[in-house]
Amino acid sequence: MRYLKHTLTLLVVLVAMSCGNVLDKQPLDKLQGENLFSNPEGVKLYMANLYYQLPTEDFTFFRQGFNWNTGDPNNGGFAPAMSTDEAVHTEFGDFIGNDDFQWWDQGYKLIRDVNILIDIIPTLDVNEEERKALVGESAFIRAYAYFALVKRYGGVPLITSVQKYEGDVEALKVPRSTEKETWDFVLKECDTAISSLGDSWPGGERRATKWVAYALKARAALHAASLAKYSDRAPISGTAVDQKLVGLDKSAAAEYYKAAADASEAVINSGKFGLYKPNPATPEEAANNYRLLFEDPNNAPEEAIFIKGYARPGSGTGHNYGIWFQPNQTANGWPHPGRMNPTLELMDAYESYDKPGESAPVSTSGAANDATDYTGFNASKQYKRFDTENDIFKGRDARMWATMILPGTNWKGQKIVIQAGFIKPDGAAQIMGGDPFTHNGKTYYTYGSADRTQYSGFDTWGGNNTRTGVSFKKFLNEGLNIAPGWNQCVTDFADFRYAEILLIYAEAIAESGTGDKVKGAKALNDIRRRAGHKTEIPLTINNVIRERRVELAFENKRFWDLIRRREYHTLFNNTMRHALLPILDLRVTPAKYIFVRINVPRSNPSTFDYRQYYRYIPGIGANGLVQNPQY
Amino acid sequence: MNKQLLSKPICRHILPTALWRVCIALCVTLLVQVAAFAQTAADETLISGEVKDEKNSAIPGASIVLQGTAKGTTTDVNGKFSLSVPKSGSVIIVSFLGYKRQEIAVGNRTNFDVKLDPSSDELQEVVVVGYGTQRKQTLTGAISNIVSEQIKTTTHTSLAQSLQGKVAGVQIRQNSGEPGSFSTNINIRGFGEPLYVVDGVARDGGYEFQKINPDDIESISVLKDASAAIFGIRAGNGVVIVTTKKGKQGKPQFSYNMVYGRQSPTDVPKMTSALQWAEMRNDAAKNLGENPVYTPEEIEKFRSGAPGYQGTDWYKETLNKSASQQQHFISASGGEGVVSYFTSFGYQKENGLLKSGDMGYQKYTFRSNVGIDLTKNLKADLILSGLFDKREQPGDNFFNIYKGTRIALPTERPYANDNPRYPALLSGGYNPVALANRELTGYSQEVNKFFQSTFALTYTIPFVPGLRIKGLVAYDSNNYRAKSVSKAYNLYTYDAATDKYTAHTQRNPSRIGNNFTDNNRITFQGQLLYNTVIAKNHNLGATLVYEQQESHNRWAGLGREYAFFTNDQIDQAGLNNQTTSGSESEYASQSYVGRLNYDFKEKYLLEVAARYDGSYRYHPDRRWGLFPVVSAGWRVSEEAFLKQIPFISNLKLRGSYGLVGADAGAPFQYVPGFSLTGGGGYEFTNGNYTTGAASPAIVNEKLTWFKSNIQDIGIDVGLWDNKIDFTFDIYQRDRKGLLARRNVSLPNTFGGTLPEENLNSDRVRGIEFSAAYNGQIRDFKYGISGNFNFARTQNRYVERGEFLSSMDKWRGGATNRWNDVVWAYQLEGQFQNKDEIVYAPIQNGDLGNTRELPGDFRYKDVDGNGIIDGNDAIPLFFGGDPKMYYGVTLNASWKGFDFTALFQGSGKYSVRFREVYAEVFAFRGNTPEYFYDRWQQSEDGQWIPGTWPASRFNYNVGAMYAESGAWRKDASYLRFKSAQLGYTFNLGWLKKIGISDVRVYGNAHNIFTWADSFVKPFDPEKVEGLFGAGLTYPVTRSYNFGINVKF
Repeated sequence: MRYLKHTLTLLVVLVAMSCGNVLDKQPLDKLQGENLFSNPEGVKLYMANLYYQLPTEDFTFFRQGFNWNTGDPNNGGFAPAMSTDEAVHTEFGDFIGNDDFQWWDQGYKLIRDVNILIDIIPTLDVNEEERKALVGESAFIRAYAYFALVKRYGGVPLITSVQKYEGDVEALKVPRSTEKETWDFVLKECDTAISSLGDSWPGGERRATKWVAYALKARAALHAASLAKYSDRAPISGTAVDQKLVGLDKSAAAEYYKAAADASEAVINSGKFGLYKPNPATPEEAANNYRLLFEDPNNAPEEAIFIKGYARPGSGTGHNYGIWFQPNQTANGWPHPGRMNPTLELMDAYESYDKPGESAPVSTSGAANDATDYTGFNASKQYKRFDTENDIFKGRDARMWATMILPGTNWKGQKIVIQAGFIKPDGAAQIMGGDPFTHNGKTYYTYGSADRTQYSGFDTWGGNNTRTGVSFKKFLNEGLNIAPGWNQCVTDFADFRYAEILLIYAEAIAESGTGDKVKGAKALNDIRRRAGHKTEIPLTINNVIRERRVELAFENKRFWDLIRRREYHTLFNNTMRHALLPILDLRVTPAKYIFVRINVPRSNPSTFDYRQYYRYIPGIGANGLVQNPQY
Repeated sequence: MNKQLLSKPICRHILPTALWRVCIALCVTLLVQVAAFAQTAADETLISGEVKDEKNSAIPGASIVLQGTAKGTTTDVNGKFSLSVPKSGSVIIVSFLGYKRQEIAVGNRTNFDVKLDPSSDELQEVVVVGYGTQRKQTLTGAISNIVSEQIKTTTHTSLAQSLQGKVAGVQIRQNSGEPGSFSTNINIRGFGEPLYVVDGVARDGGYEFQKINPDDIESISVLKDASAAIFGIRAGNGVVIVTTKKGKQGKPQFSYNMVYGRQSPTDVPKMTSALQWAEMRNDAAKNLGENPVYTPEEIEKFRSGAPGYQGTDWYKETLNKSASQQQHFISASGGEGVVSYFTSFGYQKENGLLKSGDMGYQKYTFRSNVGIDLTKNLKADLILSGLFDKREQPGDNFFNIYKGTRIALPTERPYANDNPRYPALLSGGYNPVALANRELTGYSQEVNKFFQSTFALTYTIPFVPGLRIKGLVAYDSNNYRAKSVSKAYNLYTYDAATDKYTAHTQRNPSRIGNNFTDNNRITFQGQLLYNTVIAKNHNLGATLVYEQQESHNRWAGLGREYAFFTNDQIDQAGLNNQTTSGSESEYASQSYVGRLNYDFKEKYLLEVAARYDGSYRYHPDRRWGLFPVVSAGWRVSEEAFLKQIPFISNLKLRGSYGLVGADAGAPFQYVPGFSLTGGGGYEFTNGNYTTGAASPAIVNEKLTWFKSNIQDIGIDVGLWDNKIDFTFDIYQRDRKGLLARRNVSLPNTFGGTLPEENLNSDRVRGIEFSAAYNGQIRDFKYGISGNFNFARTQNRYVERGEFLSSMDKWRGGATNRWNDVVWAYQLEGQFQNKDEIVYAPIQNGDLGNTRELPGDFRYKDVDGNGIIDGNDAIPLFFGGDPKMYYGVTLNASWKGFDFTALFQGSGKYSVRFREVYAEVFAFRGNTPEYFYDRWQQSEDGQWIPGTWPASRFNYNVGAMYAESGAWRKDASYLRFKSAQLGYTFNLGWLKKIGISDVRVYGNAHNIFTWADSFVKPFDPEKVEGLFGAGLTYPVTRSYNFGINVKF
């Protein structure tokens, strides 16, 4: 019995231990709202996640979405510029797929998250000033989000408070507002932000200010204005059009241009901003200034109105421009560099200093059809011969030299070799492939060097060599060898910069035919002067658009410019993009370089469908919304 | 103190009334029995005797039971027993595991010399079930059992591999053969990963289970139907119960077992030689309209293997033909006086195939199972076991190394200028010889330390026959350490003109990482076990259990970067880009279990059980669930009318129906809260990063476990004294309340992620049978047994948004459909000429058929609209997991020889590779040799047919890689899985020096495979793995030699 007692004791002890609160565990990874919002620093933690979610079209913006640097960021380095006439990818030829550039679910998630904050603001124990700033910030974030939605989808459901799900799905369905209502909502939110926000934050934090809100309003209003003015260039029809869910009346253009001009003028008149190093002495200086501006926009606080920062290499807080777009020679062990190939179209767009006010297509021969002949090397053609691989670009806009790595120029202490082949003394062309050739005791290699790691052009191996004749430079840091891993690059991105504000102003004046034309022309020419141009050109829409192409190249503006101005379908209508082949001509001694304009090798023509001016709305089975035309 | 404790309310969670009734019934029965015991004690007589085996050796531990009662005893060390029995009409039943049961009428005798004959009759076998054991003949659930000897016929570091094909309904698939990866899937009847219970305690998953040393195992039981409900909330996929060896009374017995073997891949697809590659590369250039890469002279040099043109077989450069494995195991068991013990120590070593020798696995195990009779009625059991294992890999993972052996060009060399001091930089980036070398790339090392302990006290209550009380405490600790050192290293190019080597730094900067995981789990169990017989014919058993389990886990990781690699210590690395992370988690469950077994004359069988289970995971109001099961059996062969048919020795019909749970979904979904994980961060000022707080997820207080209804009907047949036995089961599992998010049917403008809810449902249906025959011709004994299982899963309800059209519903619907169907284009053959391409339906979107060439695949235009697109895909294939599993075992013995052979197979599934194995020149690298048999153009432009399309890079193809029968293949296979031949020496002189037994044996694993000819080189059993590339470590074939000495 003694043992029974002991055993029973054991059992009872066990049961007693169990009866406590074994199952009452608490989660170890959750914070309660009242703790988080009790202090401005805690609010800042929540704001960090909201700003993170802003659809900023920066280094982590790809056709798959935003913040493409978490999880597996491997998208082959296909940048948005490659869906335009700015660049092609070394390998991929695809254009714009239906699923590209979607931002719907994430958009409404950000809107929900900011609505949560808006609901909380009145209950916070903060002073009036802080409260006002939070109101302004949340309006800014909401404007930013709806702007990203409306430019993709047209009119969208305007959800302005946190929806609660209580079992009734129908109660949650909100119909689309018209496109006009949606644009007006964006501008109204901008106005709320403008009136609530201050000039700056005490610690200089990268948070919305009055001026950032003005800049957003200027950008959004210009977009809306161009849509109103040019929608009829690509007429579409369908239920969504009938209900005005997509499309703006032409008559709306004037008010939007005015809003864009007013908002940009407010920034200009504030006197708080200016161009970075506005008066260079030489084009070389201009090129270097321009490069430095993007290597680190923090160098230029006067120009960088709003910066999206990248903080730490690795772990989802850096980006991948450094690894994807470095020329092959400076890959530093990364297996897949060189993906961004600026097109001949972009090279042709730059002005030459001696011919201000017009694009100067790269001229390879004296032939009359030089600029339109893409049939490849022709032995009988009289090509201009140049001493170096980049002499052909001499005298052209400084920004071209700072945006692209031109063949034979130096980058990170070495000469970047981009060569498509050579012409043997007998006139036989050896282009892209073939054996080395020895002539007068010197061995010539098709791609300019024997070693695969010592050239950056045209070889198809690895898909790492440019196929357009130039490599990419803008945003890359020349002083830094990038570590060959994911998200190692921490270059910051200027989301709004003063030059864009000047261009918005100039465009709004030029397009609307109202406003101060002198001031508009000055805005345009200020930017050109910063690029080393000494001659002023008149304010015309063509001049403004060309200036946008070259000044804002690769800042992911071109895609939306083609959309808002309804130019995509005319520009891409069974259209090939083009390349420039630097070829060593051994028919003369010493050997010289000739250049051949050709279709981008291994590429296909691209066509833009009308319907792609709007993205399709995902999930209409569940949200019950009217789909966009032709989807 | 006892009183105080007792007077406390037993628990705030009141047991369900059904359980209470069981308790009350049990107490009443107890009282009746006590009374009966008191009454009958008077007119008894004492009998005694001795129990011996066929060799006249004493059998200790044999059981002697008075028929019709629970009264009995066991034989002592010398096989002797004594028992008092009623003076008249008594019958004693003498039994011992592995021997035929004897019923002896006592009559007037008082002394008995009983000789037991060995039995092959499995029905007498005792099977371990949840919280107890049962004899196989009275089982009512679908429970399979396998014992040590049958497991050990296969030599493999993974226990799962040693079970494959041997147990009906246990679906096992090996994902790779990598030493120490233990990546074998275990799935019961198509239900999913089961719960593992080791020595009565629920322990962690398959990964740990697979590491248990087979030599330590006494038996494994698999609960395959609702009988798993006894384990409640975690048992929805069945339960695997492992029982380790315990000591038996007797002299110490030592056993030493040694195995040495060699492992080599079952098959490896060959890649093209330098010559083949050069020819195909020129084809690709030609098909693109480019100049040939290699001149005819160079091609000729590749053909003749001229200096500099010898070509490289990268597989041979990187991997050995075979790798060794060895195992040592020593154990001592026995028992004297009050103590019995089984102690063991095991060691296993498995080397990888890498030539560098930088891959391998080692495991040390120990076990000490001790039972102590503290008093006549009180027994203590202490089970201690531990494991230490270590897995080593070079600084790059095997996937990349193996990929290197696939894509590195045969025209390139491992070393620049063939100088072994300078590993070469290759065009494809992956130099497998360099990657496999830890001196260059660093290494990674994983160490596990498991310690498991169980202490149990069992008290046999003397005044109530058949009643026992058991208390158990188990503490398990798992400790995991991983270290990875990723070194920057140089690869070189060589310039013959200047005789210079140029270094190209790879993977700069070097990094080091240390990860630690510490898991602790404590289990308490209290059990009340009762067996009795009422009125001679009514056998009754009852079990009550209280159980709780808690665990606390902590993980931490450190990382640093080197400015310059110093050594592999974290403090010797730089301070830049340091990373730290960590988390903790807790787990708890609490359960009450009750079970009642009843049978009438072992003819009509009934079992009712229930588990009332609580989980920490859910809202307090949704935490507790009751999981009942009822099963019944009818042993028709015990009926008089069937006893007349002599060849039917056993016929049992049985059925079970029960509810099992599955504890699923992220915990604490009922608690709202912001979190710093899951949100994004923001750099408010330059260089100053703020981690953002994510908004609270929407809570669901109603979330709970999902429910599995399992039904099973089975029949067991034994013929001719059970020489032939046969078991057939048909089963169905319905799961309701599977987790899904309602978002899919919510408007996507809602913006929030709804929590998981119990929305979806599915159903598994299957059949399973096994059959065995055992025969003997003089000294020659032989047997054949087989098992078969076929199961499919059907989605019953899948939450989603509304369909846009009936077409959309047909294409995208899942409800009431099998979940294992792959949609593909119907292959209509290959284009024979350019004209066919021009007139064929457009199969490559906007590009039309401009990229198709003769030899490319053409697909059926199902809807006849002239365009091949998503609308032309039809359900053509079974998906990626086998639906059918089977195995056949043959065994034979003759005098000292023993032989076993196992055939095993799977069917009704398909594989589809991507990248290297299913794309010509993937990554622009080398390509499998089978693609050499291709369509190609002759000099004069004529197309010459081949098996595969013309060689091109992937940017220059049309729709040839679309899903179709060209690439997706039936992976059904039959494998000669293992064979073993052994010989046991029976030599007098060995006995004299104290060695009782010496057995030598040889065995082989994965000996031969029959499968689709395309699939076979990849090994059909293996999954496609990362990126579907099929580049997981090859499944291996092994040949082993072993010796077993007992003394």
